[in-house]
Amino acid sequence: MKLKAIALLSIALMVAAACGGGTTPSTGGVAAGSIKGNITLWHAYGTGSSEEAALTQLIDKIKKDNPDAKITVLQIPFDQVFNKFQTEAATGGGPDLFTAPNDELGNEVRANLLLALDAKLAGKLGNVAQLGIDGLKVDGKLYGVPMLFKAVALYYNKDKVPTPPKTTDELMTMLKAGKTLVQNENAYHMFGWSTAFGGQLMDGSGKCVADTTGWIDAFTYNLALKTVGGKFETDGGRADTSFRQGQVDMIINGPWVLGDYKKDLGAKLGVAPIPAGPKGKAGPLTGVDGWYINQSAKNVDGAIALALALTDAAGQKVYADVAGDVPVRTDVTVTDPLVKSFSDASATGFARPQTAEFGNYWGPFGDAVTKIMEGKADAKTGITEACAAMNKANKK
Amino acid sequence: MASVVGASIDQAKLDQPAGSRRAGRPPWLTAYLFILPAFIVMTFITYWPILFQFWMSFTDYGLRNLRLDAPAPNLVGFQNFIDLITNNMPQIANFNFWGMLGFNLFWTASNVVFHVSVGILIAVLLNSKGLWFRGFYRAIFILPIVIPTLVVATVWKNMFDADYGAINQGLAAVGGLFGITPDHFHIRWIDQIDPPISWLPLPLSYFALLITNIWLGWPFMTIVATGALQSISKEYYEAASIDGASGVQQFWRITLPLLRPAMIPAAMYGLIVTFNLFNLIYMVSGGGPLRQTEILITTAFRLVNENRLYGVAAAFGIYTMLILLILTILTNRITKATESYV
Repeated sequence: MKLKAIALLSIALMVAAACGGGTTPSTGGVAAGSIKGNITLWHAYGTGSSEEAALTQLIDKIKKDNPDAKITVLQIPFDQVFNKFQTEAATGGGPDLFTAPNDELGNEVRANLLLALDAKLAGKLGNVAQLGIDGLKVDGKLYGVPMLFKAVALYYNKDKVPTPPKTTDELMTMLKAGKTLVQNENAYHMFGWSTAFGGQLMDGSGKCVADTTGWIDAFTYNLALKTVGGKFETDGGRADTSFRQGQVDMIINGPWVLGDYKKDLGAKLGVAPIPAGPKGKAGPLTGVDGWYINQSAKNVDGAIALALALTDAAGQKVYADVAGDVPVRTDVTVTDPLVKSFSDASATGFARPQTAEFGNYWGPFGDAVTKIMEGKADAKTGITEACAAMNKANKK
Repeated sequence: MASVVGASIDQAKLDQPAGSRRAGRPPWLTAYLFILPAFIVMTFITYWPILFQFWMSFTDYGLRNLRLDAPAPNLVGFQNFIDLITNNMPQIANFNFWGMLGFNLFWTASNVVFHVSVGILIAVLLNSKGLWFRGFYRAIFILPIVIPTLVVATVWKNMFDADYGAINQGLAAVGGLFGITPDHFHIRWIDQIDPPISWLPLPLSYFALLITNIWLGWPFMTIVATGALQSISKEYYEAASIDGASGVQQFWRITLPLLRPAMIPAAMYGLIVTFNLFNLIYMVSGGGPLRQTEILITTAFRLVNENRLYGVAAAFGIYTMLILLILTILTNRITKATESYV
């Protein structure tokens, strides 16, 4: 009788577990009902974008599974999100958590605006790629819950380019044969070419050494692309439009537009890594999108629980499927070949440095890109000047 | 200023009805009590930030000092002020303080000249006898003022697009009538670095901005000029006609001198607004190409918003304030605009 009772109880527990109950993970990693209190969340996804759709889908589910949580979502324009967070967090305001690439992570940590999460996340990131964890570390401490990899790759229109170029020579040949490529003319999108030509931005001490490595060759190559019809746009929206409307065959851009490109091009859309150069694979800047917890957060536990729910396997699957983003988790199977291509591009990318020195890359090199590509300086002069300015700013 | 306040207090004492005086409270105290609430509010929202900015300008205040519990920044003396005027700002590519100031002044002057002259011209035309639908014109001409600058800037930026913009398409259509192919009208209004006029170091984006801001600025001047025109007695014109003065002579000898008292304060207002015209430049050209159309106020924004150099930005703000102060004193002295208030 006693054995029968135990057996019945065991069956009942198994059925209860299978049917789902109060302790069943809501989205794969966080128990339903474990997110509590008021939580304010900021994101900088574009209105109507596929990333916003993915987040909305996840938040709706989390709200349903966690009735004790009152989650307030606020969208901030991307070009304002860091500045707004920094000024508000510094005075004790701002959201409990926000998501963004790790562009400003180092600066925010040095300003004591983000909470170190090593203790809180101990044992909870077992299935996250080490590159993702390292991307959110500053001076050995973890300052965010990793979510996505972001690196640019080559989008192509399969109707016009059946086989994407694998090397810089192939790309040049294609453009000479009449195929078209548009690039965003800036220091971020064009970064990856430098590695393909053996370029190195900084040495171990943070000193810019781009003027002694393959950076000059990379820009000489891009100038050659321009002479055979390669387009360079300072306005990203225009570059996007020309590709989405089929006016150009290829574009270098990131996974954040994958969902939007798919809407326009459907099955015609292809993604491949940026062509490899004479010195190796292209190394686009690989950023990590994470969820950062405000040092002044009023609901730290709620914010961390929410971040974990958004970045668990189910959450990252939604981002991959809906928005085409590359998950940092190793237990999320990417089925979409386009997302897989971005995953490959991220793996060979150059992990975005979080040093103060790298912060002084953007101004001088942004300027150099414009000068070189608009014919106001040759590649050697432009890169040498930019490197000197970066070193001067960094007192190197 | 102290004597003005003292005189007001004495006047208040004289004006005060005898029955309202309370024993033991000096009359000047009542006056100061009235001022006190406004003074307290102003202390927090104006005087304190100004003093704080002044202090910041002598420090290396940065993001790391932003938190209330953060360590105090280092005092750097006049280093920020010196770095700015010696262009020692490697964090910002192509930083040229004096070049930027020169452009800012030229930008302001060139715009206001067009605003005032076009504004007066259109006001005179609208004021001419026998013009049909005058009220309608006046109503639609006010549109640029009521549309938010942000919307205006976005629309004009799109219109200046090299590939799809209405300006190039319009030029191509006109050129087509003369057999000129559309390729000749692929004008990169915003991005072209080389100046369109070789001897004039101004990029094409300056002209794009100028066209946009003329469209934006003349209606205000027209409104001011229209009001002033209607207050000019017709007897002057009748007398001038009897004396044989032509229409052009009447314009230069009667209309323009009598418009002056109204137009000069408007032009001064235009100077200050155009000098600090952030929205248009930031939205249309973004200060580009290569910072050639950057003005002081857009640079101040970048120093804070993009570079987080709060100490430098504070020093920059003080320079801007001093420049505007000098500009205001100069124009005031030349035009004697506030003469009647002294």
